[in-house]
Amino acid sequence: MKFLLDTKHLWILLALLVLGGVAAWEARSWMVPDTYGDLMGRYGPYRAAALEQIAARPSVIIADSVCHECHQDVEEERTDSKHATVRCIHCHGLARKHVAQAQAAAKSPDATIAPAQEWDGDPLTKIDLYITQDRATCLVCHEENVGMPEWFQKINVEEHLDDQGAEEPDSKETCFECHGGHDTAP
Amino acid sequence: MFNILPQKDSNTGCNCDGGCGSETSADELTEAEFLKSRRGFLEKATTFMLGTASLTLLPASLVLSKEAAGTAGKAATGAGAAAIEQTPLYGFMVDTERCIGAGKCLTACRAENDVPEGFARTWVERYIHLKDGTVQVDTVPETGYADAGLPILDPDTIERSYFVPKLCNQCVDAPCNQVCPTHASITSPEGIELIDPELCIGCSYCVQACPYGIRFINPKTNNADKCDWCYHRITKDEQPACVEACPTGARIFGRLDDPNSEISKRLRKLPTSVLKEHLGTHPKLYYLDLPQEVI
Repeated sequence: MKFLLDTKHLWILLALLVLGGVAAWEARSWMVPDTYGDLMGRYGPYRAAALEQIAARPSVIIADSVCHECHQDVEEERTDSKHATVRCIHCHGLARKHVAQAQAAAKSPDATIAPAQEWDGDPLTKIDLYITQDRATCLVCHEENVGMPEWFQKINVEEHLDDQGAEEPDSKETCFECHGGHDTAP
Repeated sequence: MFNILPQKDSNTGCNCDGGCGSETSADELTEAEFLKSRRGFLEKATTFMLGTASLTLLPASLVLSKEAAGTAGKAATGAGAAAIEQTPLYGFMVDTERCIGAGKCLTACRAENDVPEGFARTWVERYIHLKDGTVQVDTVPETGYADAGLPILDPDTIERSYFVPKLCNQCVDAPCNQVCPTHASITSPEGIELIDPELCIGCSYCVQACPYGIRFINPKTNNADKCDWCYHRITKDEQPACVEACPTGARIFGRLDDPNSEISKRLRKLPTSVLKEHLGTHPKLYYLDLPQEVI
């Protein structure tokens, strides 16, 4: 027992160390955010839960494949056309309402699909479905401008209509008198 | 320490010359005496040390066995060795020759990511080389050039002109990530630079650190904001919004670790360049046909 009495100060030191360690561990768990560094630091010095948080946001832009599930005829029409890489959303809007209604209609026959709306500006900012014959839809891309590559079909509207001898050059639907939208020939 | 070792008589002790290991003398020791002996001390100390060492190894071995079980489970559910899920490594390619400056990617990005007016995660620059040797640069307005009210240039004075889409380079050695004081800048396992909305304090160090000017402070959230190649879409196997909205295929997105992906094939076949290569940031955004004037 004399041996133990001699080392009493060592036990006090040990107890202090243990207490300090516990306090430091508590402080760490209070200050460091949950999932930070994850187990054994496999994900690096960040909050691993943030990845799921960012990935959980819903998608807004709809892929063409979603549209083609119902509109297979349009897909076939576009396949070999010059507009094969043009996306549905460019001319018809984001159509999120339309897709939701169509998906509901596929499940229950009572659900209705609202008719498409008239064009007003850039359809990418709208969530409705649009069907338009407005030439502004075409000219968003095709209006001749500095910077366009050589391969691209550039249109100077006035010159082009003059060349073709258009009957109604001021008509909004003038492009669709000769050209199709899905299949652009001629 | 040697001072407290008991001094034994030469005929019974084991700390004397030649006395150690003799069975008769060890048997005569009581347990307390054995513990106090040098041999007993060494034996106990070794056991203690080995025990502690094995305790420290325990968590690591637990994790390793858990990982091994996970991999085995995935391999069993997959069709074969090739089906084992691998963390993808994504890359982006911009074909400047395909860009027509329609600005569809800009509206798509704004709709997808709720970017406030006056800020942009991606933009398209127009370079106009005039015949007098000067270069004019402007950005494609989202509403189109017709409404922008820019002066119309005489086509005869223009040597050449082209569009260059810009977005986050997702650098391998990202300077923006390195300066973040709160570890809100994340390099995801897929190699995408992200911002943790809960840890970001909006100090804008990263805004200054990015050599490509991609980051900005979002006035809605007061956090740093940047192009993340639509992380919420690519983790669902969808294409980023700007790629989805490009009418000419100027933007190509895919997996660099898949040798059969479109981007890997093009990277092998065609000469590509990256922006500001001399900075050593190793971007994963590659440009095809990029004129050397572009910075």
